[in-house]
Amino acid sequence: MKVMVISADHAVAYAAKLARTEVVPSFPITPQTLIVEQLAEFINDGELDADFIPADSEHSVMSMAVGASAGGVRVFTATSSQGLALMHEMLYAVPQSRLPIVMANVNRSLGAASGIWVEYNDSMAERDSGWLQVYVEDNQEALDATLMAFRLAEDRRVLLPVMVCLDGFILSHTVERVDLPEQEEVDRFLPKFVPYNMLDPSDPKLMNPIVPPEYAMEMRYQLDRAVEHSREVIAEVDELFAREFGRSYGGLIDTYRLEDAEYAMLTLGTATGLARQVVDELRSEGKKAGLIKLRFMRPFPFKELCAACRDLKALGVFDRSASFNGGGPVYTEVAAALCNVPTTVTGHVAGIGGRDITPEHMREMYDIVEKASRGEKVRPVTWHGLRGDME
Amino acid sequence: MSEMRTIKDMPVNDMFVSGHGACAGCGMAVAVKNIMRILGADTTVYVPASCLVVISAMYPTSNFRTPYLFTAFENTGAVTTGIRAAQRRRGLSSTVVGLAGDGGTFDIGLQALSGAAERNEDILYVCLDNEGYMNTGIQRSGATPFGAWTTTTPVGTKVEGKREFKKDIMAIIAAHDPPYAASLSIAHFNDFIKKVEKAKAKKGFRFLHVMTPCVPGWRSDPSMTVEIARMAVETGMWTLYEIEDGEARTTYKPQTMLPVTDYLKLQGRFRHMENGDVAKLQEWLCAKWYLHYGNDMEQPVCATFEKMKRVRHPHEEQLHFI
Amino acid sequence: MYEVRFHGRGGQGAVMAAQALAEAAVIEGRHAQAFPYFGAERRGAPVMAFARIDDRKISIKSQVYEPDLLVVLDESLLDIEPVARGLKKDGKAVINTRKLPTEIDLGVEVECATVPATSIAMEFLKAPIVNTAILGAVVRMCDLVSMESMQQAIANRFGEKFGETAAKANAAAAAAAHAQAAIGRCKGRRPLAQKKEWLPAWNEIPIGTTLDERIVDGVTVGPGGARQNLTGSWRVQTPRYDKEKCVRCQRCWFSCPEGCIKREEDEYVRWDLNYCKGCGICAQVCPVKAIDMIKGGSR
Ligand SMILES: Cc1ncc(C[n+]2csc(CCOP(=O)(O)OP(=O)(O)O)c2C)c(N)n1
Ligand code: SF4
Ligand code: SF4
Ligand code: SF4
Ligand SMILES: [Mg+2]
Repeated sequence: MKVMVISADHAVAYAAKLARTEVVPSFPITPQTLIVEQLAEFINDGELDADFIPADSEHSVMSMAVGASAGGVRVFTATSSQGLALMHEMLYAVPQSRLPIVMANVNRSLGAASGIWVEYNDSMAERDSGWLQVYVEDNQEALDATLMAFRLAEDRRVLLPVMVCLDGFILSHTVERVDLPEQEEVDRFLPKFVPYNMLDPSDPKLMNPIVPPEYAMEMRYQLDRAVEHSREVIAEVDELFAREFGRSYGGLIDTYRLEDAEYAMLTLGTATGLARQVVDELRSEGKKAGLIKLRFMRPFPFKELCAACRDLKALGVFDRSASFNGGGPVYTEVAAALCNVPTTVTGHVAGIGGRDITPEHMREMYDIVEKASRGEKVRPVTWHGLRGDME
Repeated sequence: MSEMRTIKDMPVNDMFVSGHGACAGCGMAVAVKNIMRILGADTTVYVPASCLVVISAMYPTSNFRTPYLFTAFENTGAVTTGIRAAQRRRGLSSTVVGLAGDGGTFDIGLQALSGAAERNEDILYVCLDNEGYMNTGIQRSGATPFGAWTTTTPVGTKVEGKREFKKDIMAIIAAHDPPYAASLSIAHFNDFIKKVEKAKAKKGFRFLHVMTPCVPGWRSDPSMTVEIARMAVETGMWTLYEIEDGEARTTYKPQTMLPVTDYLKLQGRFRHMENGDVAKLQEWLCAKWYLHYGNDMEQPVCATFEKMKRVRHPHEEQLHFI
Repeated sequence: MYEVRFHGRGGQGAVMAAQALAEAAVIEGRHAQAFPYFGAERRGAPVMAFARIDDRKISIKSQVYEPDLLVVLDESLLDIEPVARGLKKDGKAVINTRKLPTEIDLGVEVECATVPATSIAMEFLKAPIVNTAILGAVVRMCDLVSMESMQQAIANRFGEKFGETAAKANAAAAAAAHAQAAIGRCKGRRPLAQKKEWLPAWNEIPIGTTLDERIVDGVTVGPGGARQNLTGSWRVQTPRYDKEKCVRCQRCWFSCPEGCIKREEDEYVRWDLNYCKGCGICAQVCPVKAIDMIKGGSR
């Protein structure tokens, strides 16, 4: 093991290299660019034996990824925001074709009133594409989640693409300590790539023709079940990873000081780290606060959340993107998951367009949830750090 | 392998089998069937959204006996790049071919095509040019000729048919300096065969542009498909040449240029054309003719037009057609 | 509610016919709808269209499974499609054929009108577009709409698209068909044509929208599997080969879009008419006129 001080972008690039990625189609976009630049360097220095394909657009990137994956090799790529949106059409071709492509999406706001800063509205817009989505908290998890993503995607019970989502700048351009696994360890953890279906003239296959109504519905249900069954594999891969590397992330969700908690926040991405610190403060004040970390947005942890919230009086849900007039996407999905659990659920939108989330914001969220846990009436959804009173 | 010179030298094995859903008399089916015969079994096919997908690859069957993939409309250059990269890594030498329509080539797919050509990807890109978006019901494309009726260039009381001339896709491809590019006609059998065979044998980016008459889109008689393709060459509406490592070479030169009306009258899509528009098209054709075949021979049909060599791209000058 | 199902081939105008019927009903102050079977088939391939007529607003948008009236624009479909499937016992049928109703075996015995719509279309429209002619017979068969409304609807539909002269010719074709239709009862002896289909449960479908060549439930699937579509049934004219004249140039072999001309060892050619769509290209390219096209299709 080697200890390094690197950004999450570089951590992800190292993971793709350790995974012995074979084809890397790429296109630059801030704050993702560091990933593909680093991979280009690895390849040109002979440290990674892979084809680096400089594409003409992200649409072409995902098209090349599909072609290469269907051609039978391990494929990795990375993108962000507008790039992900440009891929949209092609993203949908991947899960139904059951191609285990791994992609990092460095979250960045999308649309007008957008900049280059973090917001989750890019990847949230793709949550029904069939891709599995994992959100990470720090640079080490960025590396580890990418390695696990390959193992998960390629498992014969899964065979689905995985999108590793990491906060733009807050992770992508922040350096911190990262433990770099050894190649032999990774080789043990991640077996050599064996394609399930591939385009090979010696065994001709018809892939992805037009599918008429007589078949499409069964195929969609098949995909629905594949995403559902990936839940078990995610838990297994997490255990396997812990055995090999000594780090565990809890699978679909992770919890922090939740055992005897009366109220909690559910967070994803880097907000989780901040929430941990605030929970510690609240606990030292004698408050029964806890934390749920949402790792996977797809598959969505319906059962795990119900179990985790059983004894909670109230749960606040953090969102770094808005669904407009309905809080955020995580809030609406968590609320649906908990519809048969008596826990009160509140929504908390913060950090939009890269706005920094401060300890005070997080504290404010916990205070509202605490009130809700005492049965006080609170807003269903609160925007934190907003100038001007909410309507 | 001995060189294919005539139809008789062609392999008889069909890799694109009977039972497809194309209209009776479909020119694209003629082209695809023969291209696949020549490319043979060691081929991997990508088809973007177009008539071809719909007529030949509807789950659970296809007409291609080779590996086959479809995903979207605008990405032939990119998907084939990915397939080839993977197959090279796996030690497969198969010909990776993209069979795209004119819409998927001239218009929406131009960017991915240019990328693949510029990177000199080891793929064969075939443009099946039926001069319109036929799969969606005959809309105009950058390949539709001047004057033609389509559903988006209707013959109205104010505007009649398409007002713009056909985009010169071969000039665009030539500007990328590919190892091989050629234009083909289904009516010039031996020329067709030689070019496909050459494209198959070469390495790097190869481009074949084949005119494929379309019965409902061109409002033509199904039996006339090959004849229309032949007449296109005799009138200069289609020119047969190849560009090999920067050298352009005319592969067939008609004896005399026939008036464009000989071509137009075979198709309902031009039926409305007024004399003025016909003359405009003829003038454009004459300029194209002299560019391709040189000024050495006066063409009677061009006598009324000022003889000028119009160069659309500086690169064409360098390609000096011979 | 009255439900109608049209069976035809791509290019015959089944959808236009359904629309004109619906429009005729609306002209008479009733409610109606018409829609195609949303497929992706090309000219010549079997297609369906549907129409519903009622005195109240029609809210249902499903396909028609148990029609009151069946309209068959192409007789040859009876051999290859389960055309009469679901036709009500007291339903009716209109069929484009030269035969009399008693000579037709529909598979269900019902009241039936037959009409030589193709020759009427050739006479009035100079093209085998039979959709308007058949509508005249529909009016004759059932008192769904009056001939005036039907002709008005035809004029509206066709006039808008192809101009007034075309509208008049189409209306005249309908009138001729109305006059020439023969009414009687058809036979119900033949079993409905069976279509082999592979309809797997969700967990039986190979994953990845991907198939290799195999036979399941009697159906060949995967690469090359489309060869079981016998497109020869689309044909309305057939090539005739005169081997004596043939100079073995192989032009016809190269030019046939269907790949149904086969090269023999001795370089003469042979036809697999199972796939021939009768386009006539082979006859056109033959340098010695060794091929000519004769009227008639698969039978
Ligand atoms: C992004 C996108 N836009 C539009 C379409 C609809 N579409 C499918 S095929 C097609 C036209 C194809 O034209 P061309 O490439 O010339 O092929 P042809 O059908 O004429 O053979 C269009 C517009 C699509 N599939 N994808
Ligand atoms: S519409 Fe044109 S290109 Fe498409 S199948 Fe018919 S003839 Fe061929
Ligand atoms: S008519 Fe001739 S060219 Fe046309 S499908 Fe039949 S055999 Fe082929
Ligand atoms: S085109 Fe005519 S002469 Fe040539 S092989 Fe066919 S039938 Fe014989
Ligand atoms: Mg086209």
